[in-house]
Amino acid sequence: MGTDHLYERIDAPFPFYRIKVLDATADELLELSQERNLALSAEEMGMLRDHFASEGRNPTDVELEATAQAWSEHCSYKSSWPILQSSIFRVEAPQNLLVIQEDAGLVTFDDDWAYVVAMESHNHPSALDPVGGAETGVGGILRDVVCMGAQPIALLDSLFFGPLDHPYDQVPAGIKHPLYLFRNVVAGVRDYGNQVGIPTVGGMVGFHPGYVSNCLVNVSCIGMVRKDRIIRSRAENVGDVFVLAGGRTGRDGIHGVSGLASQVISEDSEEVGRSAVQMGDAVTKEPLIHACLQCIDEDLVTGFKDLGGGGLSSCSGELAFDGGNGADLDLDRVPLKVADMAAWEIWVSESQERMMLVVPPEKVERVLSIFAAWDVEANAIGTVTDTRRMKLRYKGVAVADLDLEFYTGAVRYNRPYRVREHVGTPLPESAIEPQAALDQILASPNVASMAWIVQQYDTIVRGATVAGPLQGEYLHPGPGDAAVLKPLRESNRGLAMASDVNPYFCEIDAYWGAMSALEESMRNVIAVGGRPHAWADNLNFGNPEDPDRLGEFKAATDGMYHLANALGVPAVSGNVSLYNEGPTGSIPPTPAILMLGIVEDVRKTVTMDFKASGNPVYLIGQTHDELAGSEYARLLGDVGATRVPLVDPSSFRRKMDALLEAMDKELVRACHDLAEGGLSVALLEMLFGARDLGLTADVTRLPGTASRIDVKLFSESNGRFVAEVQAGAEADFERIMEGIALVRLGTLDDSGTLTVLDGGRPVLRKAVPDAYRLWSDALPKLLG
Amino acid sequence: MGQVRVCVMRIEGTNREEDAQAAFEAAGADRVELVHLKQLAHSDTVPQDLHRTLDDYDILFIPGGFSAGDAVRGGAIWAARIHADLGDQIKSFIESGRPVGGVCNGFQVLLELGCLPGWAGTLPDEPEAALIQNDIGRFQSRFAELKREASTPCIWVSEVPEDNLLVPIAHGEGKFAFAPDTAEEDLKRLEAAGQIVFRYVKPDGSPAGGEFPYNPNGSIADIAGICNERGNVFGMMPHPENAIDPLQAPDWTRRPRTPCGLPIFESAVRYARGL
Repeated sequence: MGTDHLYERIDAPFPFYRIKVLDATADELLELSQERNLALSAEEMGMLRDHFASEGRNPTDVELEATAQAWSEHCSYKSSWPILQSSIFRVEAPQNLLVIQEDAGLVTFDDDWAYVVAMESHNHPSALDPVGGAETGVGGILRDVVCMGAQPIALLDSLFFGPLDHPYDQVPAGIKHPLYLFRNVVAGVRDYGNQVGIPTVGGMVGFHPGYVSNCLVNVSCIGMVRKDRIIRSRAENVGDVFVLAGGRTGRDGIHGVSGLASQVISEDSEEVGRSAVQMGDAVTKEPLIHACLQCIDEDLVTGFKDLGGGGLSSCSGELAFDGGNGADLDLDRVPLKVADMAAWEIWVSESQERMMLVVPPEKVERVLSIFAAWDVEANAIGTVTDTRRMKLRYKGVAVADLDLEFYTGAVRYNRPYRVREHVGTPLPESAIEPQAALDQILASPNVASMAWIVQQYDTIVRGATVAGPLQGEYLHPGPGDAAVLKPLRESNRGLAMASDVNPYFCEIDAYWGAMSALEESMRNVIAVGGRPHAWADNLNFGNPEDPDRLGEFKAATDGMYHLANALGVPAVSGNVSLYNEGPTGSIPPTPAILMLGIVEDVRKTVTMDFKASGNPVYLIGQTHDELAGSEYARLLGDVGATRVPLVDPSSFRRKMDALLEAMDKELVRACHDLAEGGLSVALLEMLFGARDLGLTADVTRLPGTASRIDVKLFSESNGRFVAEVQAGAEADFERIMEGIALVRLGTLDDSGTLTVLDGGRPVLRKAVPDAYRLWSDALPKLLG
Repeated sequence: MGQVRVCVMRIEGTNREEDAQAAFEAAGADRVELVHLKQLAHSDTVPQDLHRTLDDYDILFIPGGFSAGDAVRGGAIWAARIHADLGDQIKSFIESGRPVGGVCNGFQVLLELGCLPGWAGTLPDEPEAALIQNDIGRFQSRFAELKREASTPCIWVSEVPEDNLLVPIAHGEGKFAFAPDTAEEDLKRLEAAGQIVFRYVKPDGSPAGGEFPYNPNGSIADIAGICNERGNVFGMMPHPENAIDPLQAPDWTRRPRTPCGLPIFESAVRYARGL
């Protein structure tokens, strides 16, 4: 090793070194960073050296590692923060209680209660160890919600893989096949979520070749907390005690945030990154949650934070720093999985199922007894001080004495970016016969039924699920747009929730693609009767050091801001995951949105399954020549044909208000958002969840620019819903919808067939059971 | 008429205890407590004021979840701990005739304990039946239709109508099975004693006949729930505690339904009130 001479062994009963950064050349500093997997740039290593030069000393290995964790992209948002701050973080709304600043966002639910929103990626761990990565993803997001003092009530997962039938010989070395990743990620989500007893009520699965070498696992959790029981992640009172509770600390999860999450995936990732993947344990988590919530219920806790990326280092550093204080901690009090760990390993390990409580001294005994009663380990490991420094001891040796301002107050970059614009093309002359196109689209993995997955998730535990991910007749349900939960037993106020993004749109145009994702997720919650209220995003992008990739990030955040700001729906939480690249290149820009909506009265929830023969069916919104990124464009072999769907915030707002008013008046029996596959797929899906219904839909005159039948059937234009209206209520409905693009397509009948008429001519006729079979068999067939 | 006090037992990994609590409360129980096994075992790590005794309750309920992670076999570890720590308490509770119910993981526990079907005594040394992996080999969360048997001594179904019930299931190991060499004989005995309480059926009320998804796990004779010969100990795989509100039905936006699971809890509460 070229840096051996920089290590000075310090006498201690464990491996402990001082690192002589003050003596090192710039090249040696960079080599040190690479060798230790610190993921710090030459510039950052220089800043580190300058800091210790100002203190007149060299750092210990603990201090060096602590700084690398704190400065990682994952923990510091150093590339993304300036862009976020100038866009989506600016949407202010009266319902915001505590947003963006902590691990989860807090939003007003009613007079007494707030809901908590958290969303996070576990992409790189899942690419290496799909079961463990997915499990710890779910575990981590639950902790983010619990540490606000909240009871988790729902989980959602947004998963993205390469095509399941991707040729094996085209999978790069060191990369796992999408089919393997898919099966195991689903298994991890299933096993952890089901065991911990929080329902998994929704999410999405997207397939795109761009995810072959870098799958995405984005997990979301919603929780509920009484407003007077909210706990901050701050150590505000000098003299309070840090209590570490939960699992033991081991060598699993070393360098998760620096070595794994903040670098691109390569052939060597397996070898280098394996020790960075943590191991989850739902059986520890479940009692840990009970015990933590009991401590909060008994008012024993003044600050609370989970241990995630960066481990003890990030958690205690941020608690102390955000409280305006310092900390003295004793690593001897941290229970270990193996005895021979070095101090730095204990300090940065990301072992799972750990929580840090800040407890007034007189309440420590009670806290420890609650954990003991649940057979969960808990130990007082130190105290809050007024030093604004983090001081650590291990086996009688002082191992770190860090200025918190220096190490927790993160670095920020204004990196260069370049925004690429998509130039539209004319409508291609070629077309595919609608019947043949429909059959292929129904079986496309991005359209096909995900029941195989959803039915492995416990969607109903806790008893609050009013509408789940599958809706309609339980033996052949359709795909719900959003789930609706009734979080409080004593109230009929509900929360609608959905996750969405179309990576094909974003790949072509990140600005409109991201805006589409936000609009579609809003349409999802509106379709069930929810008013969009708050959202979180998981912004998955490529390497921010590439100006094109950062340009995509910039365009996407601007797009989301444009719509969110116009509608006053705030971003309250989220996560940025960069460096999502592998041997096959960058992923498509993937801003996965989690949308929350308020359902004023859950008894008025609308599901997407058609209800009754004789009811009229309307299409709301305009259909345009917007094929780019659509399922149909890919069938045409011209993915960029015409342009991606645009978004019109002002007409969208009017549409939303009117539709929600019609729903409140109980005029709407079924409602479904139009997305992948367009109008034809939406109508069929609504028929799937019904029993023996049929429809003859006349598409001769659709609002919008679409004139060709294939565009009318398959365009994925935004801003559209299909609504079934109660027979006899047509006049009331049309009055409420006045001024909004609307067409009556037809009337539900008992034919069991979807027939589409254009200019009086039948252009499509599909028996519903045949379509259902194509749609529901597609995924199981791919799985073999 | 006495107060009805319900003990919903929990350990690490139980996760439907609050759902069960809500169900008993909706069914009119006066006091429903979530009680950790360690509270009943008077463990040293539990403060004195939290110690409880099973005999102070009128109903014992063992809820669903993944107790102890369901390592070994679903419910096996929980059953072993009950056997070791609460053997005498639970034996006398059962023998007193008070209602004992178990759902999902709780059903697995009652089978592992041997108190279902209970042929070799209240707490025999060996289980006599088991719940094994679903035929389709994966966890299933969906809805199933059940029908109670017309003649059963089970006190948990006295208020349950003989129509189809639509109740959720959520399990990976729910296939009711006997040891292969005695299965035929055991099944006859179970049927003869009226110990089969619920079977999976098709929407028209005809037997599921082992056909997926009507019978979601492949249970022998479409068995969804059984009781002991006396009828006070009862276990079922589906989750009636998640069918206590009309909005919990999967198709309530299509047609109104009365909550199918509630009468099960009402039956036990009514029975306990009369004891």
